[in-house]
Amino acid sequence: MPSVAVLLSVGRHPASGRARRAPLDARALEMAFSLPNAAVHAIHAGNPDEPALRDYLGMGMERLTVLSIPRDGDPVPALTAHLEQLSPDMVLCGSRAEGGEDSGMVPYLIAHALGYAMVADIAAVSASAATATLTQALPRGRRRLIETGLPVVATVNTAAPAPRQSSFGRARRGVIDILAADAPPDTLADQCEIRPWRPRPKRMRLAAAASAADRLKAMTETRSGEGAVMIQPSPEEAARAIYAYLVEKRIIGDGS
Amino acid sequence: MTGKRRDPRAERQARLIAGGERKRFALGAVPQPAGRPRRDPRSLRRAATVPGGVRPRIDWHGGARMAARPGPDARPQSQPEIRITADPAFLVLAVADHPGGALSEHDRETIGAARSLADAGGGAVAVLTSGTVEGLAEAGADRVLSVPAGHIGDYDPEARTAAVLAAIDLLKPRHVLFPESAEGGADLARRVAALSGERLFGGVASLSADAASRRMRGGAMEMAAAPPRLMSIAENAFAAHDGVRHEARALDAPAFAPVRRIGTVTPLAIEAGTLSLADADFILSGGNGVTDWAAFAELGRVLGATLGGSRVVCDEGHLPRDRQVGASGSLVTARCYLAFGIAGAPQHLQGITEVRHVVAINTDLHAEMIKRADLAIIADAQAVMPALVAHAKERRDA
Repeated sequence: MPSVAVLLSVGRHPASGRARRAPLDARALEMAFSLPNAAVHAIHAGNPDEPALRDYLGMGMERLTVLSIPRDGDPVPALTAHLEQLSPDMVLCGSRAEGGEDSGMVPYLIAHALGYAMVADIAAVSASAATATLTQALPRGRRRLIETGLPVVATVNTAAPAPRQSSFGRARRGVIDILAADAPPDTLADQCEIRPWRPRPKRMRLAAAASAADRLKAMTETRSGEGAVMIQPSPEEAARAIYAYLVEKRIIGDGS
Repeated sequence: MTGKRRDPRAERQARLIAGGERKRFALGAVPQPAGRPRRDPRSLRRAATVPGGVRPRIDWHGGARMAARPGPDARPQSQPEIRITADPAFLVLAVADHPGGALSEHDRETIGAARSLADAGGGAVAVLTSGTVEGLAEAGADRVLSVPAGHIGDYDPEARTAAVLAAIDLLKPRHVLFPESAEGGADLARRVAALSGERLFGGVASLSADAASRRMRGGAMEMAAAPPRLMSIAENAFAAHDGVRHEARALDAPAFAPVRRIGTVTPLAIEAGTLSLADADFILSGGNGVTDWAAFAELGRVLGATLGGSRVVCDEGHLPRDRQVGASGSLVTARCYLAFGIAGAPQHLQGITEVRHVVAINTDLHAEMIKRADLAIIADAQAVMPALVAHAKERRDA
């Protein structure tokens, strides 16, 4: 019976700016629920009175542990100390929070402090007594199977299964356990200038051309192909040509 | 009569400028001989005149005008072919992802960002790679640290982290730049930051010698500070280095000893059928010319392609709406697009602008899709699809 700790954060709705459950952390919690016979411990470091935390309870947990730290505090020491005491087999969280610095560093710092293995961007997980099998999601739909010993810290990617809805009744009934914790203030934000994000113009790839007329032509005209045309071939000829083209461009491997 | 009598004619003649076909007098200040060459509109006009013909014809767009002024290609010849920074004031280390052993566009942008930091203060760019990578000199690398192939596995973030830390120890760079990419750059940057105990400025979107800025609070705010030591560079935010080749001198890569905690790694086959169109690398697309949808699905299975379609077939319900390619569906970035029975409406062609190889099968020779295609076949889709299935199976069994 593996014990899984899920680190939850409070998200921020991109349009309204209201607090919500962070989508990636909700996926991490959903992934923890998908492990058979797992004991799931949900942990949040922050303000215990945040109403958005109830959305996580509504996903089907009875209890949620909140390490109460001030708003500008660093959550890593508190989380590390709590996890050391809990000593879970697996720590899951979203790959990036959305509402603070969003550096994505918390799982790495925890893994480093506790000496756990660290795997990023997983889409699926299964665990046995001593090992975990993680499916890592890569761009273009590629996947990689990683087998690693326990304990392990893993971050969850958008390729993981979507989280279940939060149920209102369970969210009301769930219990939030509040633990006091120490958090040294994070000074990086004081050293930085913080301002609203200003959308920047999209960078265009300019074609290297001699004159402005040529550049305009390269930007505006429809790209035309190499233009090999076969007119009314027999179906077999056409199939051979297509297959040879796909093999030549290494789109498919040649079977023979 | 006290003074000598002036001879304006002789004075004027003395100011005659030699050369040129028109008489020209320097009546004002004495002309500077080393100045910009004067433009001579008459000779330009004569050079642009097309010879022959009864009426004089002037072609301003021809080669004449181009030849008359120094073209853009004249400039690089005066500069050295390779720029060498022998004694840099500081180093900027860029860590390349190079998936599959070749520099990605994101790697080039990262090296370009490092280039801008180095050029602002007389520094040099060092690039850390695993194995030999082509095109580093063109990308703007002054120094190359290449860890011998085999020391770092295909997916081996712990060994890469140890290699980066060893390189930082050796070179003492002022900045270390990573690509903020899902190929491993973002992961590596955070591992290095956690192990070295330094703060990472992740996903930098604008960068100069005085300030770096990145998005925070879910993208609503940005934080700016003087460029810190560890930074990862957002995609599509910087231009790749374009122009003079740099030295790319090979340095000895340092030795390193990783702490390995991750076990065995196996790459999995792509499940093309479940991919979203935006992620897909090879798309089989059907349009109004396809009526045999069973053969279409069979072909997708055999070739291992992700299925897509034009607006018409999604409207008719042959394919679900999320399979629609085009302006009102998905804009795809696949490497290959195999289109059966698609005429190529402008809205559909907008969806495939990023595709590298297009194969089109259509009965109409004059369809727009045929013009866009790299290989076009004028035939009926219903005849070609089963033939292609049979041919693919035959080749696999052979």
